[in-house]
Amino acid sequence: MSITLDQVTKHYGGVPVVNDVSLDIGDGEFFVLLGPSGSGKSTLLRAIAGLTGVDHGRIALHGRDVTHVGARKRGVGLVFQNYALFRHMTVADNIEFALRVRHVRGKVRRQRRQELLRLVALEGMDQRLPAQLSGGQQQRVAVARALAHKPEVLLLDEPFGALDAKIREELRRTIREVQRELGITTVLVTHDQDEAFAMADRIGIMNLGRLLEVGAPHDLYSRPATRFVATFLGAANLLLARRTTDGIQVAGTTIAAGDRTPAVYEHEVVAVVRPEEVEIAPARAALASNYLAGGVVDEVVFTGALEKLRVRLDEAAQTPLLAHSGADGESVELLQVTRTQHEQRGFSVAPGQSVAVGVRRVHVLPTPLSSFTACAATPQLAQELSREPLLMELAARMKTRIGTRCEPKLGVADAEGEASADFVGTTVIASQTDCAHRAEWLLRRGARDLLVLPAGAAAPQRVLIHWMGEAARSATLAVSASVLRHVPAEAVYVGIFPGQGNGGRDAPGIRELLDARSEAQAAHGLEMRTELRFGEVAEELARRLAEAPAQMLIVGVTDLARFAERFRNLLDGGQWPVLIVHRDAP
Amino acid sequence: MSAVSKLLPTDAARPGQHTWLHSIVRWFFIAVSLTFLAAVLLAPLATVFAMAFAKGVEAYARAFADPDTAAAIRLTLITAAVVVPVNTVFGLAASWAIAKFEFRGKSVLVTLIDLPLAISPVISGMLFVLLFGLHGWFGVWLQEHDLSIIFALPGIMLATMFVTFPYVARELIPLMQQVGNDEEEAAITLGAGGWLTFFRVTLPKVRWGLVYGMVLCNARAMGEFGAVSVVSGHIRGLTNTMPLHIEILYNEYNFVAAFAVASLLTLLAVLTLGVKTLVERTGYRGH
Repeated sequence: MSITLDQVTKHYGGVPVVNDVSLDIGDGEFFVLLGPSGSGKSTLLRAIAGLTGVDHGRIALHGRDVTHVGARKRGVGLVFQNYALFRHMTVADNIEFALRVRHVRGKVRRQRRQELLRLVALEGMDQRLPAQLSGGQQQRVAVARALAHKPEVLLLDEPFGALDAKIREELRRTIREVQRELGITTVLVTHDQDEAFAMADRIGIMNLGRLLEVGAPHDLYSRPATRFVATFLGAANLLLARRTTDGIQVAGTTIAAGDRTPAVYEHEVVAVVRPEEVEIAPARAALASNYLAGGVVDEVVFTGALEKLRVRLDEAAQTPLLAHSGADGESVELLQVTRTQHEQRGFSVAPGQSVAVGVRRVHVLPTPLSSFTACAATPQLAQELSREPLLMELAARMKTRIGTRCEPKLGVADAEGEASADFVGTTVIASQTDCAHRAEWLLRRGARDLLVLPAGAAAPQRVLIHWMGEAARSATLAVSASVLRHVPAEAVYVGIFPGQGNGGRDAPGIRELLDARSEAQAAHGLEMRTELRFGEVAEELARRLAEAPAQMLIVGVTDLARFAERFRNLLDGGQWPVLIVHRDAP
Repeated sequence: MSAVSKLLPTDAARPGQHTWLHSIVRWFFIAVSLTFLAAVLLAPLATVFAMAFAKGVEAYARAFADPDTAAAIRLTLITAAVVVPVNTVFGLAASWAIAKFEFRGKSVLVTLIDLPLAISPVISGMLFVLLFGLHGWFGVWLQEHDLSIIFALPGIMLATMFVTFPYVARELIPLMQQVGNDEEEAAITLGAGGWLTFFRVTLPKVRWGLVYGMVLCNARAMGEFGAVSVVSGHIRGLTNTMPLHIEILYNEYNFVAAFAVASLLTLLAVLTLGVKTLVERTGYRGH
């Protein structure tokens, strides 16, 4: 491996800007770190270059641990967004700088310079000053300068940010050619997905300091695992669907699921439909693909090669569409459609026209958290709960919706009776005095993911994870991974064992912790710390939560016996959000 | 005039249009400012030279032959020769620290650098008397060890240093902040060490700002009166700098000598201005 990152973490003022990033980049690979501004990608690049220290974790270049090696000795080439050429030196002096520093003989230096200038197609520009060159030419010089000392790794920090489109394209090609010719491992940071697609062997997508997904451009685009990647990488319609034994049920239609794992149980999922996978036709019968719903064309925009439409689905179809943010940041519930010239010629539409909408391909996100349902004894309380700031923030970040639901029996102590309907997605209840009983009531009636939310809870900075019973382990990890992709917080697995402990030398305890960590990392891409505590589970968790503000707990349970009794301390009137993941033991 | 006052607003509303009124107004303003300049700046300047040469070139030359005058000139030059380099180093260090690093007390340091500009020079001088004078904090200790700071060369240098230390730092801080850190970081990733980066990258980047700051610092160091006056003790031939010597000569009604020395100081000032203009023309064009 050329570059190995292991749990790299960097905080600024207590906030993790790079959060537990682990990554392997192979020899000669062109790796692109893609993410919105502020996602931590530049900080990560600077950490690889050695310009920024890390608070935690390890960085290795070609097997050599360089975590504590200064930038000077790392031998990487770095290209900055604004070129950072030495403005008082000529092009020749700029390129030869690294060689002069290494006391390389003049003749060799000149030779190397000529070679590099040829490589970046700037022959004969030796004696110019940077100010006499265009932006594109300056960036070429910067690339040549970064390669002069034959670094093992080339790092590019938004190298095309300050250039206009034409030059950008040209320089992209040059850099890709240079990279192929030298076979040098390259990491490029960008927020531009076109650039990532055009250049990358593999793309790593970052958000809120976490590396969400890594993969080849095509895989990431067609089979994203997270909502963020689905919507950040190209346009996407997110729909709430049901996974059934037959396939994916969206609105009234069932589409055969194109994946391997058959559904164990029926549950709500989030489906991704790319705009180009949507078909529109004058009538249902004319559709070549699965009918989704009827709709009315809201907007038609011509963009040259493609036509972009927005279609409002019929209310009657109980629109499964999740709101996405429009250009002005306002949420809109319109289906995005793109059509080629060919499709336009077959069926031209105008705003206001009624159409039948079909989908050619649906991709189901593996995320276990689909939607939220605020649940309370009266509709009014449920409404209030659904407007809790933390819940709204979570839903907005997860690009999902918050429904409401009224359970009149919920407030009644020791109430019997059935729930009014099946539970869908994550059920949310307010944290209050007899919360443990309510939680048990809901869990016993089929709520699988239950969030207990105190009024005015702060966004968590640390998420504690624990499960009781192996059956809940995998689900708890999956839910935790999903939550942590949307919250800039650190994950801590709290292992709790009965008894007083023996100073941490408890071998089975440690093994369990390590197993949990490696499963989280391997199966869910979740990096977490581990802590070992001894005592009664609910008590220890309550104690741990009380230790610091802005924490959240995700706890997996299998056995509901004496649930309310055991969890009274933790849930009744608690000041922290608790997400309970309930899975029955097989 | 009433026609002018009536037309003036309409003319002012159409800038760039050449009317007869426009050119009259233009010449009027130019004349006013030139007259003012002549009265306030040029006339005193001319007076300096007129008085200096009032009794002929020979008398002018004789003024410099006086050993006390020669001593004053020497003292001023020595002071500047020590103060300017010291303040240059300090200014570079301070501006580097302020522009490149985040540290506790940074804003306090920035404020402290400006302190000498805010304090009256006389008070600055007094501070040193209070510290090192016979009745000052360190006075007894200094006397026991037979060291003299006040009424001696070290005191003059300290006072001058204090008064002039903001000039280089003030000039460099905004410049260093503006040019940023990228070039230094690039140099480091290319394998350059701290000193090499400083001399090959940072210093060339800010060199014109540095020269400019040094020129201003030098001008102030040579011309400083208030602070130096307090600490010098006015001992002729020993602790009199040029500005102080001029005052003594003037008070003795030795006008020719006083103005002769003054003319030298003026020449130095004009020279400084010349260098400054040159620096501004060549150096800042690149930015």
